[in-house]
Amino acid sequence: MSLNTDFMVKVAQTAIQGVPVTLQIVLVALLISLPVGCLFALIRIYRVKGLEQIVKLYVSFVRGTPIIAQILIVYSAFPSLLNMIIGKAAFSINPIYYAYIVFTLNSIATLTEVFRSALQTVDKGQMEAGLMVGMQPRQTFWRIILPQALISALPNITNATLYLIKNSSLAFIMSVKDITAIAKTEAAFNYNFLEAYLVVWIYYLIICYSAEVIFYLLERYFSKFRRSTKKTNLFNWRPLSIKQPEVRAEADLTESERTNHAQNRGLKKRL
Amino acid sequence: MLKIEGLKKGYDGNEILKGISLDVNKGDVISIIGPSGSGKTTLLRNITTLEQADGGHIQFAGVDNDFQKLNSKDIQTIRRNVGFVFQNYNLFNNKTALQNITEGLIVARKVKKREAEKIALEALERVGLSDRRNHYPSQLSGGQQQRVGIARAVALNPQVIFFDEPTSALDPELVGEVLKVMRNLADEGTTMVVVTHQMNFARNVSNKVIFMADGYIVEQGSPEDIFEHPSEKRTQEFLTDILANV
Ligand SMILES: Nc1ncnc2c1ncn2[C@@H]1O[C@H](COP(=O)(O)OP(=O)(O)OP(=O)(O)O)[C@@H](O)[C@H]1O
Ligand SMILES: [Mg+2]
Repeated sequence: MSLNTDFMVKVAQTAIQGVPVTLQIVLVALLISLPVGCLFALIRIYRVKGLEQIVKLYVSFVRGTPIIAQILIVYSAFPSLLNMIIGKAAFSINPIYYAYIVFTLNSIATLTEVFRSALQTVDKGQMEAGLMVGMQPRQTFWRIILPQALISALPNITNATLYLIKNSSLAFIMSVKDITAIAKTEAAFNYNFLEAYLVVWIYYLIICYSAEVIFYLLERYFSKFRRSTKKTNLFNWRPLSIKQPEVRAEADLTESERTNHAQNRGLKKRL
Repeated sequence: MLKIEGLKKGYDGNEILKGISLDVNKGDVISIIGPSGSGKTTLLRNITTLEQADGGHIQFAGVDNDFQKLNSKDIQTIRRNVGFVFQNYNLFNNKTALQNITEGLIVARKVKKREAEKIALEALERVGLSDRRNHYPSQLSGGQQQRVGIARAVALNPQVIFFDEPTSALDPELVGEVLKVMRNLADEGTTMVVVTHQMNFARNVSNKVIFMADGYIVEQGSPEDIFEHPSEKRTQEFLTDILANV
């Protein structure tokens, strides 16, 4: 068996037009689901009457059904639903909007759970300390609790984003012309399926890898207040590994190590 | 200056505080001692409105009201006039030592950033940590964290500072540095209410000692009264126990 490399290059060139589409779906879904997921998490944590049950139900519906079923339902329900409201025009809507809807709804559920557990990792003493220096609960939440929760949520947000990127490849079902859809069309035309799918594989690998690097840098930048015990080097930096949700037991340094740490930092600042 | 009467608090039908009355005058250093579970922490948390008491009356900073009737303005007034030093420090983890102190000044007191930093730096100097101002809590030892915690409370210049066992989470060799800071505060006339198991502090620094057990104040008086000739049997037993274990 040999690979038709010329064909691969050709697929790569056409499928690249799908990259922005994939990225758009991912970005739209993320930008909406991050704040909404955070809000939903708060509704659950503070047990907002009425809304709490709705959020709970929503999350379990999304988590308890395969994404393919969600896609099929949205894709078959929404056009006819819209048809009733805006008439025929509904059928000429760009299918990417359906992709936005499905993947946003899906990410909201995932991120609600991510934020819920992240907010709960912040010690309640942080809020009490805020109140005792005279800050309002709301001020303490925005300035103290949320920043800490966001940072501890980052590894799981990374995970959610990677799943989102990969799941977005299912958008072809809704005839969205993303990377996968374009490659599939090319392949069916020439019967070179393996070559086409290898190209798809590489594209997703590159996108996921880039996303991981971005999140890694974010995490490193924002967790400067956390005591880091080991420096990242070539061997323990594994940007390709899917991160497991971490339990952050802070390694206990001895007193002298701590002081060393502190002195090193001080030194660096002065230099 | 601060007057508490008949403070009551229970959890799930369990009465923890059974009517506590307390008077704090300006410049007082009051030590509260007593066995574990007697309600010392609960008392401080209820006075400072971290929890809502079931009954009792408070007179403080212009507030003169039953605990149950405190409105949000009363609560805000009380919180603005007390300082609290926590057993496990509770420094803001995402803020440096300096920011831990400026946070309340800037956000709650609306002090200008420049001015707040000046006040914070002075407070850090008082606890001997001005060289650590840019360190995050995770980069400080327990003793240093607690000193920042004290500086954070002091910088707001509250009428009274409550300490809940400020040294009991510390390694023994770090207790001294924190007690020294507290002793300095006392010498400077800071009004303090300190829950402590450090009998030396209670005896030598405070002007009044309160012995609590089972949700009651069993006995209170000058350190000599309590330590030299306690009149209640509970107090005697407690002191014999604790002094035997030192
Ligand atoms: N949130 C709560 N819910 C239920 N019970 C509580 C709560 N907080 C405190 N208690 C109970 O109240 C009692 C008094 O607790 P508190 O922490 O005030 O004691 P303490 O005198 O500070 O003890 P220690 O010296 O060990 O700190 C304990 O029996 C405790 O179990
Ligand atoms: Mg206690």
